[in-house]
Amino acid sequence: MLLEVKNLNAGYGFLQILRDVSLNVDKGEYVCLVGPNGAGKSTTLKTIAGLVKPMSGDILFKGEPIGGLPGNQVARKGISFVSEEMNLFVNMTVNENLAMGAYTIKDKQQQKDRLAFVYDLFPRLVERRNQLAGTMSGGERKMLAIGRGLMSDPTLLLVDEPSFGLAPLLTENVFQSLDTLVKQGMTIMLVEQNVTKTLAVTDRGYVLENGRIELEGRSDDLACDAHVRKVFLGV
Amino acid sequence: MDPKNPINKLLDLLCFTPAGLLALVVLLVLPVVPPFNQEYLIRWLISAGLIASLSIGFDFTAGLINIVNFGYAAIMGLGGYTSAILADRLGLNPWFGMFMGALTAAILGLIIGAITLRLRGIFAACLAWFFGLALMGLATKMVWLTRGPLGMRVERLFDTASNVPYYYLILAMMVTVYVICKWVKRSRMGMAFNAIGQNMEAARTSGINPVFYRVSNFVLSCALAGWLGGFYAHFYGILTPDMMHTSKTVEILAVAYIGGRGSLWGGAAIAFPFILTMELVRSSLSNLPGLHLVIYGILLIVVMIYYPGGFAAFFDTHLRKPKNKVVNYFINGTAMENR
Amino acid sequence: MVEQAEKHLWARLLAWCRSLAGATVIGTIVIALIVTVDRGGYVLVNTIVTGGMTALVAMGLALTLGVLNIPMFAHGEYFMIGSLTAYYVFTPIKTYMETHPESILALWGPLVTIIAAMLVGAVAGVVSEVLVFRQLRQRSRENWVMNSFLLTVGLSVLMINAHQLFFGADFKGITGYFSGMPINIMDVYISKDRAIAFLLAAVVVTGFWLFMTYTRTGRAIRAVSQDETGALIVGIGLNGIMMLTMALSCALAAIAGASLLFMYPAYPSVGLEPLYMAWFVVILSGLGNVLGAVMGAFMVALLKVMTVEYIGSGWDFVVPSALIIVILIFRPSGIFGSEVRGVLDK
Repeated sequence: MLLEVKNLNAGYGFLQILRDVSLNVDKGEYVCLVGPNGAGKSTTLKTIAGLVKPMSGDILFKGEPIGGLPGNQVARKGISFVSEEMNLFVNMTVNENLAMGAYTIKDKQQQKDRLAFVYDLFPRLVERRNQLAGTMSGGERKMLAIGRGLMSDPTLLLVDEPSFGLAPLLTENVFQSLDTLVKQGMTIMLVEQNVTKTLAVTDRGYVLENGRIELEGRSDDLACDAHVRKVFLGV
Repeated sequence: MDPKNPINKLLDLLCFTPAGLLALVVLLVLPVVPPFNQEYLIRWLISAGLIASLSIGFDFTAGLINIVNFGYAAIMGLGGYTSAILADRLGLNPWFGMFMGALTAAILGLIIGAITLRLRGIFAACLAWFFGLALMGLATKMVWLTRGPLGMRVERLFDTASNVPYYYLILAMMVTVYVICKWVKRSRMGMAFNAIGQNMEAARTSGINPVFYRVSNFVLSCALAGWLGGFYAHFYGILTPDMMHTSKTVEILAVAYIGGRGSLWGGAAIAFPFILTMELVRSSLSNLPGLHLVIYGILLIVVMIYYPGGFAAFFDTHLRKPKNKVVNYFINGTAMENR
Repeated sequence: MVEQAEKHLWARLLAWCRSLAGATVIGTIVIALIVTVDRGGYVLVNTIVTGGMTALVAMGLALTLGVLNIPMFAHGEYFMIGSLTAYYVFTPIKTYMETHPESILALWGPLVTIIAAMLVGAVAGVVSEVLVFRQLRQRSRENWVMNSFLLTVGLSVLMINAHQLFFGADFKGITGYFSGMPINIMDVYISKDRAIAFLLAAVVVTGFWLFMTYTRTGRAIRAVSQDETGALIVGIGLNGIMMLTMALSCALAAIAGASLLFMYPAYPSVGLEPLYMAWFVVILSGLGNVLGAVMGAFMVALLKVMTVEYIGSGWDFVVPSALIIVILIFRPSGIFGSEVRGVLDK
């Protein structure tokens, strides 16, 4: 197992959001986490990424406990988090943003390789390389956020709401790049509002409701599940 | 303990609890109790009363709408100088002059409030600070009017060498300031202030006009400062630009925040023991100049880190809810929401 | 091809000149030249020396405000620490120099002094970050700006009076780091101290700018100031960066304090003037803009020198304040400020 989450409880201050969440992700898998608004999907990712402190439970990455570590140390272990708000450095150029993504990599040659890899995946960013991140369109920013996440050569990529606020065509683009990444052997855990689409592209899924894992299984099975169809697809 | 009881009604009207009333009575009889009936101690008490009143006025802005008026001492100075100059040049009655001081300070408050309207909290504080610096510079350089750093002699209010009448006057002024601020805080306006202080944008969307409330808050708080400045001038009998210095604002600010932001009474309650202790340290350890202010600084830091709510929050969480009914009445009075 | 690039450059330059920032910069230079012609070269020299040093203090202030989000009120006190350290380091060196005029210290003494002041300033910054600001940050980040501001007020009171308590309230100054004749450039006499102070400021500002733009750590500092969560995600440790930022910004103020010891002797509240000058600059130039802060520093310095020159000393409290107030009314985000993080209420 690459990532194992066992009986995780987490939240903000006195407000508990996650209750006994357990899930795991194997190497090379494309896993999604779906659920209604406010179910705690983003909180799950943030807790794994070290931005929210867990109240109890274990998070194991490559068998090592990482629960409660600050975000920067989690990032150094090889987990990259692409947040919903993207958290780009708005007053830096695209190039500088990507360079910051490789902050944990000391080797100059490896940095160059990663940059070439990202520019290869998102040719759009090459044209914009000297533009300030704050002045780009939503879709470009999303690409930049994913690109920055990939710069550190992560083992696991956590992606939160990649389609949020994007036009359908751009959403398609982003999904395609994620697909490409998986084919190249990347492990991705995806949180997404668009349930139909998500279940169509991923291998396996978890359904989160009110902070609990209600269902888990292969994505095609989940897409046919009566409960899922009733709650999310209104069928 | 019946809310219909006339005493309770009066207390409620003045926003006092029985405990507060007791504290006030203690302060009233203090000048005749032996150690405190010496003139120099009464002077300390007067300066404590002045700081207490100023901290109430300061907290009215800082605690309610969450903007630090960093030129507060200068605005007080403006009131003082206005009153003093009017008395000196036009022979105006100082009692009336104090209100003129309040008026000029209120006008300045209107200007500051209007200019800082759109600024984020901390920059509004800076702008008020610059106003204060400019005022102090003016008072220093307009020698023909203020005699500059030499100091301006001011006619005193009472024709006596004793300090006791001044003490009762400042106590009365303190209670007035407190009651005015508390009344406003209890009104609809006070609720609007709170809303603005907590979240400007949310307040705006819920139909509160932040422009009006921020300006009126500044006007009232500055007017109170100007009025107290008039007292300062006619009590000390001498005015120098130094009274407008940033360090004086810091003194008021420290008392207000250690007392407890937003409570109004916290600063007043803490000022008397605090100032007396500080004066005691200063006068007894005069070979260590600055020691009392070192303690001041450390205290402010420690309170801000470990108890940002100050004394009032400590009081509310630990002493406010006694089991005993009589004690409860004593501390909380009959009205639930105030003091 | 080359022609086109040249044309492009010209177009950009013209656009910059027409922008508010460009107009202000050019206006400042023109006014400075007019005043110089009118009153003599010393005005320009004074402006440049004061401006260079104000730039150091203001950059530090902008840095703490941008990265740690602390509106620093105690920044002048690190200036004071710098000048105090310089006084106590330089006095023995000077006595030694008088007895051994040929010693190598005659040349390097001032440099040693300023470096010592810089180190002490940096240590003071780290100590205040670890003992004061980190404590609050770990406890609560609610209402952070106001609370941290009050902490800096407390720090300021503490440091000013600790100075008075331990070192006394008298003026502790020197006549100059270097003895000897002033340098003569086109009939303007510049004392060696002033020339060196300006050179030092220029070197430090340049070095600082290079550090912030091209090094990995400098970029990390900028990253934290732009998006804290984003910085955490890419693996930047916040505690380290914040400690480093405090060390840097306090060291900058201490360098300014030490190299201006011949103009401002060390006494408890010496820091007030640099502090409000730096705040002028930060408000004038907007946040998170090193070059803007440098330019703003020269503008504020010119304003101050001109006020002293034409209206009289003592008015330098009044006129710049009034002007800043006017500027804030018409342009609350500052002249060079980026719109991303201005002084306006969100």
